[in-house]
Amino acid sequence: MSAANAYDAIIVGGGHNGLINAAYLARAGLRTVVLERRHLVGGAAVTEEIFPGFKYSVASYVVSLLRPEIIRDLRLARHGLEILPLESTVTPLPNGDYLGRWADHDQTRRDLYRHSPKDAEAYDDFATLMVRLAWAVKPLLGIVPPDPLSPGLRDLKTLLMLGRHARGLDEQQFHALFKLGTMSAADYLDEWFESDVLKATMSASGIIGTFLGPRSPGTAYVLLHHYMGEIDGVFRAWGFARGGNGMVSESIASSAKSHGAEIRTGATVERVLTANGRATGVVLEDGEELAAKTVVSGVDPKRTFLGLLDPEELPEDLVEAIRRFRIRGSSGKVNLSLSEAPEFSCLPGGGPHLRGAFSISPSMDYLERAYDDAKYGGFSRQPYMDVVIPSMIDPGMAPPGRHVMSIFVQYAAFDIEGGWDDAKRDAFGDAVVDTLSEYVPNLKDSILHRQVLTPLDMQEQLGLTEGNIFHGELTPQQLFFFRPSPTWADYRTPVRGFYQCGSGTHPGGGVCGASGRLAALEILRDLRRRPRGPQPGHQPRGRQ
Amino acid sequence: MSAYDAVVIGAGHNGLIAAAYLARAGLRVVVVERGEAPGGCAATEELWPGYCVDTGAHSLTGIDARVMADLDLAGPGPNPGGAGPQGARLEVLSPAPSVVAPQPEGGALILERDPTRTAESIRRFSPRDAARWPDFVSAMGRASRALSVLYDTLPPRLAGADRGDLWELLRLGARMGRVGRRDALELMRLIPMTIEELLYEWFESEALKGALAADGVRGICQGPLASGTGYMFLHHMVGAGGIVRRRRQVHGGMGALGAALQHVAAAAGAEMRLGHEVASIRVADGRATGVVLAGGGEIMASRVVSSADPGRTLLGLVDPGELTPEFVRALENIKYRGVVAKVHLALGEPPRLPSGDDDAPAAVLAGAAITVAPSIHYIERAYDDAKYGRPSERPVLDAVLTTALDPSLAPAGRHILSVAAQYAPFQLADGSWDDARREALGDAVVGALAEHIPNLEGAILHRHVLTPADLADRFALPEGNIHHGEMTLDQVFFGRPVAGWARYRTPIDGLYLCGAGTHPGGGLNGRPGAAAATRILRDRR
Repeated sequence: MSAANAYDAIIVGGGHNGLINAAYLARAGLRTVVLERRHLVGGAAVTEEIFPGFKYSVASYVVSLLRPEIIRDLRLARHGLEILPLESTVTPLPNGDYLGRWADHDQTRRDLYRHSPKDAEAYDDFATLMVRLAWAVKPLLGIVPPDPLSPGLRDLKTLLMLGRHARGLDEQQFHALFKLGTMSAADYLDEWFESDVLKATMSASGIIGTFLGPRSPGTAYVLLHHYMGEIDGVFRAWGFARGGNGMVSESIASSAKSHGAEIRTGATVERVLTANGRATGVVLEDGEELAAKTVVSGVDPKRTFLGLLDPEELPEDLVEAIRRFRIRGSSGKVNLSLSEAPEFSCLPGGGPHLRGAFSISPSMDYLERAYDDAKYGGFSRQPYMDVVIPSMIDPGMAPPGRHVMSIFVQYAAFDIEGGWDDAKRDAFGDAVVDTLSEYVPNLKDSILHRQVLTPLDMQEQLGLTEGNIFHGELTPQQLFFFRPSPTWADYRTPVRGFYQCGSGTHPGGGVCGASGRLAALEILRDLRRRPRGPQPGHQPRGRQ
Repeated sequence: MSAYDAVVIGAGHNGLIAAAYLARAGLRVVVVERGEAPGGCAATEELWPGYCVDTGAHSLTGIDARVMADLDLAGPGPNPGGAGPQGARLEVLSPAPSVVAPQPEGGALILERDPTRTAESIRRFSPRDAARWPDFVSAMGRASRALSVLYDTLPPRLAGADRGDLWELLRLGARMGRVGRRDALELMRLIPMTIEELLYEWFESEALKGALAADGVRGICQGPLASGTGYMFLHHMVGAGGIVRRRRQVHGGMGALGAALQHVAAAAGAEMRLGHEVASIRVADGRATGVVLAGGGEIMASRVVSSADPGRTLLGLVDPGELTPEFVRALENIKYRGVVAKVHLALGEPPRLPSGDDDAPAAVLAGAAITVAPSIHYIERAYDDAKYGRPSERPVLDAVLTTALDPSLAPAGRHILSVAAQYAPFQLADGSWDDARREALGDAVVGALAEHIPNLEGAILHRHVLTPADLADRFALPEGNIHHGEMTLDQVFFGRPVAGWARYRTPIDGLYLCGAGTHPGGGLNGRPGAAAATRILRDRR
């Protein structure tokens, strides 16, 4: 092996977490290389010009919860990241009316008042409570999960810190948090509001990426995420990256490169090489070998433990835990090129609302029925959709006068009955366009190009197992120290020198980047303790 | 000075158990019950001459072994005479085959008390599942043991913990430590799971998963794809002493449980006032001082202990002015959503399953419950109907031939089939329960059963249907909910009946709750009654 192929750290997978991890390691002086299978980095956060002149944020389409410390540490603004606000969410209704939630608080209030004066009053109290609770939960995003089986001193300190932080809550807030953690979004919102459309559109945020309906317990918690962004000073935690979501990845890659990291695309890692229970490098599909004492996987837990490694090298109970780790995809994506601006019948003509999001979630039953269609192995005939028109926010996304539309669609089962094929993909795309046309009359005639991604496409094209956008379902039994498995939730693995940094680790989900950063900090911690010798990572634990 | 130390509202099993514990500790106790018979949902009624039907619960799945032992109810014994027809001793009957799950394509899965025999039956559906069965049984046994530790603990307060709470937490920690950290952690992982996820980790056979998942949705308005149904499954496991889908009934009908408990309480000195309804709870200076009876008259007592559900007790019997608006709101937000209906059939001949190459027909005659839940999706589809406010077109059924184990319940040669059907939502999307809907429900249940029991329709002599609305009226079940409040994760442990008040006390001094609406919930386990009594006795010191 040539010296040119020897590194301090190899990162498998150039998704946003892998890139963040690489940037932090390179910044600390490690000779780092990122190996990406595709021709471009970004993973699910990519901008691609699928059709000439039309740039699609192919999969992930908004910036949500990207940790402010990452933006700061990696100087992403300097590397080209510009986040433009998505200022509104409009929920059109079949009867031609709509519910709008706007950056302007008074306008939101007026809109709510039209639907329910009582809800307009409750909305502010609700927001106040949620912001308070988001504050209480937020530190969880920045800590390494403790080991519940054999907690060390550091783990106890973590728990103590969390406990002390939680004492800032009063009794009512504590109870609200307990309810949020256990209830369905529908039930939780029922306790506050009466307007069906308000509850539906709010609960829609609780079901994104899950294979659950709004009446399924466990969906209330995600309501908090929207308010977490507010603490960071960004409305609704959502923003749009100029140049598409690929610019998030590009800016991180640029930052990593500025610290000396090497980025290789078209490099598919076949396997992680190990010797005596520790990582020594990787071998690529074409047989090329790269050496490093630190190997970091940004891919999902299934691929990390069952694909990159030989399960024989791992403790039996970990292999079992990874096999049963649930990772069902539930969403699809449709990207459209349009010859003219879409016109919503509820708000005819242009206006600032076109620079915001549109949520096709007119009622609770509508969402629930969308879920019903998919849960037996199908896709929603009338799906829930989150629609943005990137070219309205950033005209550079489409040729002058033309537009691109990004449609996040739920639900679509990965293991659809009979399996996905071209005909089913088309039928899925048709269901999306037909449904949306009910609210956007000029849509159908203005479509120039259509790209449809089924969960299977997301697996095949983006490497998301089963098309799950979070690298593993965000259910309580797969969060925190269970993500992906107890003892191995601290980004380490039983193979010394081999780490995980993808969304399948705590806290996971969304383009948040915390996993990539926390993993890097753990790696640097291990290296600092013993700069050259074997690392003190956990001993493999078998059944004891 | 009051005439009594405690007046207990309701002679359901929890009320009687609380009364028995309190009376045994030397308190002067009186139990007030609006009905003429004790037992609440443990009721046996002679619906037709000679037919004694368990109109409420028809299986003794849950009663806690310690309560049985404390009150000296365990085991068959000589009838000591006394208030109850059976005396204080309960004769518990348990068939070797516990569940027969007939399948749409013919044949049936049979679950037995003996795991080896069960595995044999499972092998016909999946050899892989059969091989995994013994491990599953022991894993669920371990999880339910860990859960029973939680059930023996007073839920600590989440906020504003005082020294007592910390002490409870430490005790809980120590006892969980004895269970083992791995088992405790595994329980933590299992609790939020859906029963579908839990079973998916073990099995591939839909027949098996359906038969087990039926326990995970019992009494809750959720399908098997909902978080918390894994917990519900374990809850039944705790009641059944760690045995998967255990089936037990009481000789003489479930009413014998009520009678035996009444006997125990009375023998300990508790006074019984049956046929008296409580109209309100008297409160003076923030303290409960007794109850006012609907027929006039008052009973003064230094404590009031209610086994009625939390809403009925605190919103129905107490002047709302005594409670804070926040507390009232929390009570109003309790989800009940009854989904269970009962259908009782008097049969001229025993039900005969088609004789195939299995022992299903014989197992039914030996007393196994017939579970109609052939797959997870079957249950979920049944729930879909309820989600939109309609009774299930194809309901999930749990049918028990009570006369198989106890022929004395019906005239010679006749049989009683008691069927619990789910989902029948209390709140209908279009209108409310009436006679026509009741009959339609009966038809749907009989129709679904008849698909598996060809001679059923011809054998029916009498039919009796209880909708959730009927159950609500007959047994004072809130919205017909058999557990006095849905046992979803937000409404158990710290959250039962409402967050901050999970410790049997109420904001009114001297007013306690002891029913299934309190920790650890329903399922005829008797723990709430016993735990409330312990709490009261501790407060007295």
